[in-house]
Amino acid sequence: MNRTAGINVIRLADAPVEVRDPDIDETLGVDRPWVVLVWNDPINLMTYVTFVLQKVFGYSREKAEAMMLEVHNNGRSVVSSGTREKAELDVFRLHEHGLWATMQQD
Amino acid sequence: MAFGLRRPFQPKGPDRFAVNIGARERAVVKAVCEDLLGALEDPAAEPLLRRVYPVAHVTDATIDAAYQEMVHSDLVTSRRQALERIIASTEEKELDREQLESWMIGLNTVRLVLGTRLDVGEDSPPELEPDDPDLPAWAVYEFLGGMVDAIVRSSAETL
Repeated sequence: MNRTAGINVIRLADAPVEVRDPDIDETLGVDRPWVVLVWNDPINLMTYVTFVLQKVFGYSREKAEAMMLEVHNNGRSVVSSGTREKAELDVFRLHEHGLWATMQQD
Repeated sequence: MAFGLRRPFQPKGPDRFAVNIGARERAVVKAVCEDLLGALEDPAAEPLLRRVYPVAHVTDATIDAAYQEMVHSDLVTSRRQALERIIASTEEKELDREQLESWMIGLNTVRLVLGTRLDVGEDSPPELEPDDPDLPAWAVYEFLGGMVDAIVRSSAETL
């Protein structure tokens, strides 16, 4: 490995990172985003899940396929996030297509 | 699936798809859609429809109830419309994109209900005896899987 690059890595790792305490947001009442999850199910076809994610969210085939594989391999995947209203609409559109989708506040 | 050499939903220019399936397949498509339309109105079929109207929140019943109250009737309506559009177009030689989308959503819904009834799991289909009473339902389930997959492939390549 290049010596200079190695030093840079150490410097980056040691550099102080500004961390926002998540509790602060809560005490101030700032809305945490909602996320929409798609869950693995044994009925919907993999090609179908990929296509629905492309169609509903306008995702590229690559992105939709990666999400579908995460659903398949890990049991679920976050497919969108935003306000509660947006999450409700996204869940509705996924339910219209028969996907097993839920929402929760992150 | 033996559809012959032609693709079951052959793209024909923008937003047109030739339907290359036989009279028997068309009859099955129509019959399963009519069955499901009936089941949507039948309270006794409710346990089979749990995949058609899933919960929207895993742990918070209040949020789920608010969601269901807001959208349930819309979900029922869009399902019914998809099935009615399929029934009205089972004899068509060509479908436009909107019709094909109804076929995709409607037939996938039938598959969800049939899969729920057959208790489909990750290891399905099971080994079935030739006289198993579920054999016809499994055959229809597999047939619908082939149809949905073919529609997805034709729709995706013209997206």
